[in-house]
Amino acid sequence: MKVKFSYLQEQFKDYQVYLERIAEVVKAGDYTLGKAVSDFEQRFATLLGAKYGVGVNSGTDALILSLKAIGVGPGDEVITTPNTFIATVGAIVAAGARPVFVDCTEEYVIDPDLIESAITSHTKAIMPVHYAGVPADMDKIMPMAHRHGLPVIEDSCQAIQGALNGKCTGTFGLTGAFSLHPLKNLNVWGDSGIIVTDSEQMRDRLRLLRNHGLQNRDEVVIFGYNSRLDTVQAAVGNQLIQEIDWITATRIKWANKLDQALRELPDAITVPERRPHKRYVHHLYMVQAKDRDQLLAFLQDRGIEAKVHYPIPLHLQRAAYRLGYKEGDFPVAESQARSIITLPVHQHLEEPHIDYMVDNIREFYQ
Amino acid sequence: MQVKYLDLPRQFQDSELHRAIARIFTHCQFVLGPEVAEFEAQFAQVCNTRWAVGVNSATDALFLALKALGVGPGDEVITVSNTFIATVGSIVATGARPRFVDVGSDYNMNPNLLEGVITPRTRVILPVHLTGKPAPMPEILEVARKHHLFVVEDAAQAVGAAINGQTVGSFGEVGCFSLHPLKNVNAAGDGGVMTTDSEEMVNLLRQLRNHGLKNRDKIDFFGYNSRLDTIQARVATYHLQFLEEVTRRRQKNAELYDRLLADLYDEVVIPPRGGDVKQVFHTYVIQVERREQLIEHLTQHLVETKIHYPIPIHLQAPCREWGWKPGDLPETERQAQRILTMPIHQFLTEAQIHYVAETIRNFYRR
Repeated sequence: MKVKFSYLQEQFKDYQVYLERIAEVVKAGDYTLGKAVSDFEQRFATLLGAKYGVGVNSGTDALILSLKAIGVGPGDEVITTPNTFIATVGAIVAAGARPVFVDCTEEYVIDPDLIESAITSHTKAIMPVHYAGVPADMDKIMPMAHRHGLPVIEDSCQAIQGALNGKCTGTFGLTGAFSLHPLKNLNVWGDSGIIVTDSEQMRDRLRLLRNHGLQNRDEVVIFGYNSRLDTVQAAVGNQLIQEIDWITATRIKWANKLDQALRELPDAITVPERRPHKRYVHHLYMVQAKDRDQLLAFLQDRGIEAKVHYPIPLHLQRAAYRLGYKEGDFPVAESQARSIITLPVHQHLEEPHIDYMVDNIREFYQ
Repeated sequence: MQVKYLDLPRQFQDSELHRAIARIFTHCQFVLGPEVAEFEAQFAQVCNTRWAVGVNSATDALFLALKALGVGPGDEVITVSNTFIATVGSIVATGARPRFVDVGSDYNMNPNLLEGVITPRTRVILPVHLTGKPAPMPEILEVARKHHLFVVEDAAQAVGAAINGQTVGSFGEVGCFSLHPLKNVNAAGDGGVMTTDSEEMVNLLRQLRNHGLKNRDKIDFFGYNSRLDTIQARVATYHLQFLEEVTRRRQKNAELYDRLLADLYDEVVIPPRGGDVKQVFHTYVIQVERREQLIEHLTQHLVETKIHYPIPIHLQAPCREWGWKPGDLPETERQAQRILTMPIHQFLTEAQIHYVAETIRNFYRR
């Protein structure tokens, strides 16, 4: 049996229905910031309970433009975690600022109790990552950020429909940055992203920043960038967003089943504690495994596309050399990097796939 | 008779194009799929360069080219003021300052004025091949060599243009092209591509567009997310096969306009033509007397025209803050008052061009 990590070919087996939506764009010749974009922005914001959505070229750009919009630049510091996709940190560096890392918790998100000691007079923003679809502890982070007068930019790229006490991730901070990359829970046919915010001022600034700072065709009010959500991608998004409840529910269903089965192997597998006030959306289903590398090879050999997200934490990458961190600085993230493994839990799997994964993991440890 | 400025719905109705896109669904590699490399190879061939690198937009192409050359805060980049905002926005995005030089009667950088604006901070000369006419590259390269400056070409409007058979994008360190829907070779959304003959540059640019990733898990330096979408690469490859035909039709349209407007020399100024220069007429820009009234007259007769661009960049709000003022670039400013862009696209008929010329004639001769 094969358990594939990517499901795009199954998801888009019937791509005609999307092409029909794109045909409307073609008929109008409306390729740049067309109607499908504003429709999608509205739908996405409504889905999350945010006031505004601003479509951009990628989750990376959603983070960069958010930082730029609050004036982050050279000399500033932004606090985040070292266990994330490179784009989180790349965005901070792209804005000209310095990333300051804080270790993570057992559930792979920034440790709220360690943030305060990382704040300096240069800190300009806090950027928690809802990593793997695990909501960061916004209930602790927001009051603390407020106390220090610091804006919070949420990296929600992996956490569409994640929530704490029913409030969606991405709607706690000043902005929430989302990715619509083909591998995300809500995806389109290429790089794309979207920012949500409740602030009209931020919305207006973000709209300017994504479109060259143009106030109209001929007048430039600030220097900006070119980072627009393509109309054709928005058309795909408008079709797929109708399925998001099913996508999220299915991932949660498979994750719960895996949780239950893997908890029966406490000596070999550590499943993070699931807190009842959080909705985990399992973009990546990650557990910690004994003899990870051998398990990974074993599962891959059995046709199960398990992965590691990621084997090298950001502070130990060559790119981060100049930041001056060293091994041992973030013990939790470093230890997790050696033991984490990601199992497929996507919406196109069936129950036998889950059973097959569990059987193989059991067999490996026997 | 109606004469539209452009006709995108017509260009994209081709069912061959739809079949070409459908191929992507056999593998669903929406990000950096094989179609991107295929496009890059073909594009490099068209430009007579060794390599091409697909990115998210021409803005990003310029930005990444400057980044790859090490341009940053404290540096200056010399360019022109009569260009789309992105040329200057990309300079500002690197942290460098733009320094403007005036243009000649062909709307392009005046090489005789270049030495007057070079300072110890100057790192790059960034000429724009505006309207699809090559800037005087031999003269610009001579100045650049003498002063040890890099040259980056803004060829966003000029795919296929050439001087003495040498194509634009092959003169400087990097050539930057746009695949925006309004360009001569276009995608169905934002897209861009860079050309270069340097192996060192191509590797750097490929890494810069993809987060600085050396492979899935290792990051050499912090980069950006600016990849040409697979689907856009496919659309652009499809349109690339018609480039010669599109160029030929645009040249033919331009020749007809030139001929029909020749005797209105008191009111209509046609820029210099000919020599060893191949123009590709992304736009057909003339200078006219009583412009605003002429536009009104043409609009009344259903002829769509545009102005590229009514406000030179040095007089836009953010540049004024740096001290630029009216009078600094007299030729650029004079042209901004008088330029007018006529429809020139490949779907125009001879009858339509006769009609446009006749409508202009009626305005001045009534």
